[in-house]
Amino acid sequence: MVFYVTMFFQYMSQYIKTRLQYRSDLIVEFFSDLMSQAINLVFILVVFGHTQLLGGWSRDEIIFIYGFFLVPYAVFSAFFNIWDFNERYIVRGELDRILTRPIHSLFQIILERLELEALLGAVTGLAVMFYAGTRLNLQLDWFDPILFIIFVIGGALVYGGIFVMLACVSFWADAKTSLMPMMYNISNYGRYPVNIYNTVIRFVLTWILPFAFVGVYPAAFFLEKKEWYIYSFLTPVIGIIFFALSVFLWNQGVKKYRGAGN
Amino acid sequence: MKNAIEVNNLRKEFKAYSSRSGLAGAFRDLFTRNYKIARAVNDISFNVKQGEMVGYIGENGAGKSTTIKMLTGILTPSGGQIKVNGMNPHKEREKFVQTIGVVFGQRSQLWWDIAVQESFRLLKKVYKVTDEQYDDHMNHVIKTLDIEPLLDKPVRKLSLGQRMRCELAAALIHNPPLLFLDEPTIGLDVLVKLKIREFLKEVNEKYNTTILLTTHDLSDIEALCERVIMLDEGNIIYDGALKNLKDTLGDGKELQFQFLEKVDLPAVKKLTAALPVKWEHDEKEQIFTANMQNNDELISQLIAKIVAAFKIKDIKINETSTEEIIRNIYEKGAVEVG
Repeated sequence: MVFYVTMFFQYMSQYIKTRLQYRSDLIVEFFSDLMSQAINLVFILVVFGHTQLLGGWSRDEIIFIYGFFLVPYAVFSAFFNIWDFNERYIVRGELDRILTRPIHSLFQIILERLELEALLGAVTGLAVMFYAGTRLNLQLDWFDPILFIIFVIGGALVYGGIFVMLACVSFWADAKTSLMPMMYNISNYGRYPVNIYNTVIRFVLTWILPFAFVGVYPAAFFLEKKEWYIYSFLTPVIGIIFFALSVFLWNQGVKKYRGAGN
Repeated sequence: MKNAIEVNNLRKEFKAYSSRSGLAGAFRDLFTRNYKIARAVNDISFNVKQGEMVGYIGENGAGKSTTIKMLTGILTPSGGQIKVNGMNPHKEREKFVQTIGVVFGQRSQLWWDIAVQESFRLLKKVYKVTDEQYDDHMNHVIKTLDIEPLLDKPVRKLSLGQRMRCELAAALIHNPPLLFLDEPTIGLDVLVKLKIREFLKEVNEKYNTTILLTTHDLSDIEALCERVIMLDEGNIIYDGALKNLKDTLGDGKELQFQFLEKVDLPAVKKLTAALPVKWEHDEKEQIFTANMQNNDELISQLIAKIVAAFKIKDIKINETSTEEIIRNIYEKGAVEVG
């Protein structure tokens, strides 16, 4: 365990060094990220400016949920940058290299593909939450920040778990098409209150592809929606279950890895 | 001596899908797909002792890489047992890979964007190598491979030869007792090849490192390995000393004749019918090749007969090369050496 933590920091410092090598790239990228976050912010305010009440949620509450969603999403994007897993690791056979090193293969890939600048999105999320929170006069209790962190980690794990499971499909199917775009589309549903959807979609978003645990459920806790509290507190549980499941699936998948021809 | 590698009835099967033709075929493929089970490695068994250098050779698709990938824990075998350094590579992968070094000639082990020494530093942490062990061992490796000036350059800026030397050094950071090299000299020039060979010999002598090497370049094998394992279509067709192979099968001479006038093969064959000689005829170059035992008397007799009958433009006497021997083996498909 200690070893894994050390390795995390080793890879992270390596990552930062690589980034610093391309100094101009870094600056350009930083500003373009900043710009896209600002545009995102304006977009949210404009879009939700016209909504008033939606399934019992006020405009500011919906904005708050959206803001919350951005935080676990940013954490997820920073650590699970494996959109091109099939292409890079299976088709091009990079997994060969990963498998000859004494660290768990999934952990190595996560470390190699770190994308820490994505964490910037969390700042936007916090800003949106702060804006909506002030307008809603939300009170901040001493335990709120702790729960916030736990919920964010839980949400990021839900996202990561589903993502890793989808990546695992590559171990069995040798088709080049990936399911990733589909995943991206579905994931968007979690940003909005689930009770505006019909029961089937709600069920799917809660228990099958539990994206609701990334946005609306944990956010409901901070909005003091008591009827959703059970779901809020289920967030870390679902996160851990789904992530554990994905690691299990991954370990099975690695055994099926066929390698790429030379 | 201890066995570094023990392989028993090792097998690997791949499902190979074939698609039907046409649109209707594509629809049928959706539901039931045709597949054949192809055996890349077919129940092979062999042992390698600690400190041996073994050449693992075969044509493309003979199953070399598949075997290496099973021995290194990358692929799961379909059947049979493997024990490498006393462990089952796939079952105890993370513990096992700590004891091996791997170089795939066609795939980089180093990080593309960062300087070579940063890669080394990271690998040092990955393999939990202490500073003393690293200094003690790697300073020497770096000096022998002459990569000191390359250490601060990013890998993407290195030439192939430079990169290969760095790859080799990277595979040795944890000073593994067993080294797998898959085509380590592919595409390299002669000088780099020689340097790498010398280095491997030295490592083997100094640390008693076992080396399993696949290559298409037989001169690598001749320079390094006393033992070869030859693979064809997933089966081992020869396992033994390289010298044996040469002595038994290569114990012959090859005489090449070119004539001034047009001569046809049956005439030549008729003339030497009494002698134990096998003739080959290259139509394009008009070269007649006689394969025979390495017997001075016989050679003189043959030359005497030919010279008496035809006008000679050129004669060459060659020893059968390893390459030739191996080509012959593949053409015949088996080896009768013990």
